[in-house]
Amino acid sequence: MSNQVAFEVTRELEAFIIQEAKYADEGEYQKWYELWAQDAVYWVPLKEGDDPAQKASHLYDNYSRLTTRVKQLNTGNRFSQVPISGMRRVISNYEFFNDSDGKFRVEANFYLPEYSIQSTHNFRIWSGRYTYIVSRKEDSFQIHTKKIVLVNGLEPISTLSFLI
Amino acid sequence: MTKSIDYNHLIQADKVHGSVYTEDAIFEEEMEKIFQNSWFYVGHESEVKEAGDFVARDVGRSALIMVRDKDATVNVMVNRCSHRGNNLCNEMSGNKRNFSCLYHGWVFGLNGELLDVPYPDGFTKDKKDHGLQKLVTDSYRGFVFAHFDEPKVSFDDYLGNAKKLIDRACNLSPEGEIDLTGGWVRQKFDANWKMLPENDTDGYHVNYVHQSFVQVIPSQYNEFVGGEDTNKGVIRDWGNGHTEIDFAAGYVSTLDWLGSTVEKSKSYVEKMHAAYGEEEGDKRLFDGPPHSCIFPNLFLAEMNIVIFQPISTNTCVQWSTPMFLKGVPELNFKLLRQSEGALGPAAFLLADDATIAERAQKALKAGTPWCDLSRGVDREIVREDGVRESRMSDETSNRGFWHHYRSVMLGEN
Repeated sequence: MSNQVAFEVTRELEAFIIQEAKYADEGEYQKWYELWAQDAVYWVPLKEGDDPAQKASHLYDNYSRLTTRVKQLNTGNRFSQVPISGMRRVISNYEFFNDSDGKFRVEANFYLPEYSIQSTHNFRIWSGRYTYIVSRKEDSFQIHTKKIVLVNGLEPISTLSFLI
Repeated sequence: MTKSIDYNHLIQADKVHGSVYTEDAIFEEEMEKIFQNSWFYVGHESEVKEAGDFVARDVGRSALIMVRDKDATVNVMVNRCSHRGNNLCNEMSGNKRNFSCLYHGWVFGLNGELLDVPYPDGFTKDKKDHGLQKLVTDSYRGFVFAHFDEPKVSFDDYLGNAKKLIDRACNLSPEGEIDLTGGWVRQKFDANWKMLPENDTDGYHVNYVHQSFVQVIPSQYNEFVGGEDTNKGVIRDWGNGHTEIDFAAGYVSTLDWLGSTVEKSKSYVEKMHAAYGEEEGDKRLFDGPPHSCIFPNLFLAEMNIVIFQPISTNTCVQWSTPMFLKGVPELNFKLLRQSEGALGPAAFLLADDATIAERAQKALKAGTPWCDLSRGVDREIVREDGVRESRMSDETSNRGFWHHYRSVMLGEN
C-alpha cells in the first residue's frame, strides 16, 4: 500500500474537511451529524497517547453518544450553546495518508477563535491537531474518527459544548 | 485601612448577600481561613501507590505535593523550594526518588527533609531547619485531608457524618476500596468557587438548567424530574457543611445508579454477594453511591470524585475523575464514559452548569444584593441526630453549606 495519496484526492479530502468545519462553526448540527459513519469515534483526549479504556477524556463519543450530543444541541435548550458561540476555525498544515481498508487519514493543525456569547463574552483561542479517518461514501466521504488533541488539553479548559 | 467583614450580616438564616461571591476581600479571607487554617481535601492514597509516587495539587493559594514515602506514609508538602522559593515539581504526577530544585540544585527527600545543598561550605545553617513545609495530614479510607497548622478541630470532629458518606462510596467495592487512576479532567469556570458545592447539591435546578439533558437522555435521573410530589429524592444537611442529595429512595431497581441491571452486571453482583452476603450486597447495589459535598472542596459525585479549586474571586476549576472500584475493573470503561457524559467541559450536564454559574457571577455584581435560600425552611425536618432533611428541591443543603461557612469565617470552627 502506497502511503502517497493522489493530489486530486487530497483536494477532495481538504474540501470535505472544510465543509465539516463550516457546519461545526455555523451550528449546522444535523448536516454535521450526517457526515459520520456508524462506527464513529469523536474524541478529545487529555493528551496524545492516552488509552480511552484507562483514562478519562474531555469527550469520547461513539455513534450513539454523538447522536445524543447532536439531539441535545438541537433541543435549543443546550444553554451553554444558546446562542451558539461565534467561531471561525482555520485548518492548515494538512498531511494525507492512506489508511487500512481503503480509508484515508488526514492530519492537520487548527486554530479556532471562539466568542462565548452565552455567558462571559470572552474571546478564546482553541488550538491543536485534528486527526480524521474517513472513507469514500457515494461521491463524498464519511467520518469514522475525528481525534482532537488540544495543545492545552491537560490544563483546565472552558466549556466545550460547541462542536470542535 | 481594612474594614472588617460582618459575616453575620452577609449570611443569614435564609439568605446570603451577593458580595460573598464577588468581593476580593472575602476571597482573601477564605484562602486563609478555609484553605489554610481548616481541614481541606488533598487527594486519594490510590493516586500514589508506590514509594516515590507523587501528585502535584493546587489547593487555595498553595501549590502542594502529595507523595508516598519509603515507609508507605503519605506526605503533603508545599511545592516550593525552601531556599529561594522555586516551584520544585512542575509535573502533575509521576515517580521520584527525591525532589531536586532546578534553580540551585537543593535536594529534598520524600518526607521533605533537606538532603543536599550543592557547594555546602558556603551554607552553614542546619539542614534540619530547611526542609520543605509539611502539612498536618490525616486520612479516612484513603481520602487524604490536610491542615497547615496544628488543627483546632480534630480530624474526626471535622469529618463528622462525612465518614458515612465516604463509607457509602467505598462500600460499593467488593474490596472496600476505590481506585482513582482514571486521570483528572479539569473544567474552568468563570465563577466563584462556592457556586460549585452549592450547585452540586442543589436539587432544584435540574429541570431548568438541564432541560435539554432531560429531553434527550434517559438516565437514572429521570425518576427525579417532574412534579415535586412524585420526586422521592431527599436533600440533606449532615452538619459541618457536608451536604447531600440522596437519590436512593427514588431508585426503582438494583443498579439504577449505574444505568445497569443485575443481569447486565452479573460479575459485579456476584463479587458483592461474595464479599458482603446477599442481603447486604443487594442493599449496597440498590442504594448506590453518595451525591455529597464534603466541606470545603470534595464532592463525592456518585461514581466520580470531584475537587473544587478556587483560583480567584471570579474563577475556579472543577477537577473530576471516575471513581473506579477496586476488584471490579470490568466496570472501568463504563465509568469512564459516564464520567465524561456528566462531568467536564464537554459533558451533557456540567457544560450548562458552568454557563449558568458564569451568568450568575456577572449578575451578582449589580442590583438587589440578596440571594434567597429560604426554600423548604418551614417544612424541613431535624432528625434526632441533628441532621436536617427535606424534599429534593429544597435549599436545606445550601443553608447547611452557608451556615457552616459562616462559622468557619467567624473563626468558630
